[in-house]
Amino acid sequence: MTRRRPRTGAWLAVALTVSLAAACVRNETKSPSAGLPPAPWVSRAIPEAKGEIQTLSDGKKQAVRYKGWATEDFSQYRTYAYDDADTLLPIGKAAMPAIPGDPKTGRSLFLNRTLGPCTGCHLIQGADVWPAGNVGRDLSAFGDRNAPDEYVFNLIYDARQFFPETTMPPWGSAGVLKPEDIVHLVAFLQTQKSPAPPEKDAERDPNTRPKPRGFGDNLDATNNPAVLRAERAEALWAKKGMTGKGCADCHAGGPLKAMRGVAARYPQYVALYRRVMSIEDFLTAHAPENTGVPLLAGSPDNVDLTMLIKMASNGMPVSIDLSSAENAAALGRGKATFYKKVGRRNHACADCHTVANGRGGEKFLGGRLLGNAEAGFTRHFPTWRTSQADVWDMRKRMQWCMTPLGTNMLAADAVEYAELELYLTFFDRGKPISVPGIRH
Amino acid sequence: MAEIGRVRIRIPSSIKQGDIVKVRVLVIHPMEIVQRKDGKPVDKNYHFINRVVVTYLDHDIAQFETSQSISENPFFAFAFKAVEPGVLKVTFLDTHGGKYEGTAEIKFS
Repeated sequence: MTRRRPRTGAWLAVALTVSLAAACVRNETKSPSAGLPPAPWVSRAIPEAKGEIQTLSDGKKQAVRYKGWATEDFSQYRTYAYDDADTLLPIGKAAMPAIPGDPKTGRSLFLNRTLGPCTGCHLIQGADVWPAGNVGRDLSAFGDRNAPDEYVFNLIYDARQFFPETTMPPWGSAGVLKPEDIVHLVAFLQTQKSPAPPEKDAERDPNTRPKPRGFGDNLDATNNPAVLRAERAEALWAKKGMTGKGCADCHAGGPLKAMRGVAARYPQYVALYRRVMSIEDFLTAHAPENTGVPLLAGSPDNVDLTMLIKMASNGMPVSIDLSSAENAAALGRGKATFYKKVGRRNHACADCHTVANGRGGEKFLGGRLLGNAEAGFTRHFPTWRTSQADVWDMRKRMQWCMTPLGTNMLAADAVEYAELELYLTFFDRGKPISVPGIRH
Repeated sequence: MAEIGRVRIRIPSSIKQGDIVKVRVLVIHPMEIVQRKDGKPVDKNYHFINRVVVTYLDHDIAQFETSQSISENPFFAFAFKAVEPGVLKVTFLDTHGGKYEGTAEIKFS
């Protein structure tokens, strides 16, 4: 009896797979899924990567995120979720309070790292301004413009009143700065008269600061610790799960031979799961179903095995298939996500990661260079992050962007992120895969 | 994880005679750490690399005494003066009698 039961289970699984496959075929011939929103997906991520919100004993809400990350809940702000009904933050307007502005208070607000900080994007005078950025206008001579106080107040309160396409967050409308705070900021900005003292430190000035040169050969094990992490996954490749099988039992010839070229096609629409998937997403479902080994999204095992699989395609050009209707529709949704304004700061990915129309790409944000998504972001992921001493996949990197935007992160294996990743991968077409990468 | 004792040596791609050459060496090794029972260290023959020998042109040019405080899969970097073309050999010896070697051919361009 005990010997029989698993066998029955296996037959059931086979029968299920067959009926599922049949259902898929029917689906494709009758009504193509292209253009339709993707099927709901139950996250198979580790608890800290699921983007869940918990209610504490005192009734306060707290976001569950990775260890050491901010836990502030941003539920009241728009997210990247397709089913998020929240609309754009309405454009606000406020009367300037009739209180005297204090330039000194304004300056400390300008530098306050728990608020903006404004200095992340704007230059002002003073040797203590760090980290400095040049995403926004240089304000070190702003007072010369003699702009009316009321106008400057409203510009900070919600710049969309004057510039609908601005990338400046609506500090007043979002409730980050109180009207009184903005009065002090206005008073401070009016003191910024030319000539600004010359900047002596080329490293400090974002206009002359050298761009990072990288960290050397990313495929050298003595240089990139992620290479050894990937080799650790060779044991995982051979590991047999509850079904008595491991990756190696179906994919013959070792990971580097069996997986050659696979990563070049991902992310892509996978008919069996009726959604776009990256290698990471696919492993969360494919591995437990066939071997019984759980590979939760965001887990070290998942990331390591993804690296090993992608390394098999190193040097090959990224060649995602854009001819399929499903992939093309997903690409469109991914692009819409890239340009969607979310969160307390009303930012879109494009605000910081494209270069057109004076956006932030390839400029310094608080001392850090913002990458340009249209130059390609994806082909070195998962990547070793020298600043974090760990390997991160593309999804954790996306989730990392969510907190500064003031929006709750989605699950690491969310369809929204998969389709966004597809859009980002679009810019890497034809370029060689080089995994694992090494970055700051 | 890759097999124990695999040694990887990285040298610059172009070396000229008389150059001070930076060498980076990585070896796969568990470097077993001290176990404790009731707060006291367990007395046993721990498995870790305790000696590293560098030879160049068949001469010992450096020796390192190493201990358990060095991490798993240890990484060493050192520099030497490349006077003649020949073989640079790095040998790792561990407390269980293991001997792991890696070599790099020093050529001038």
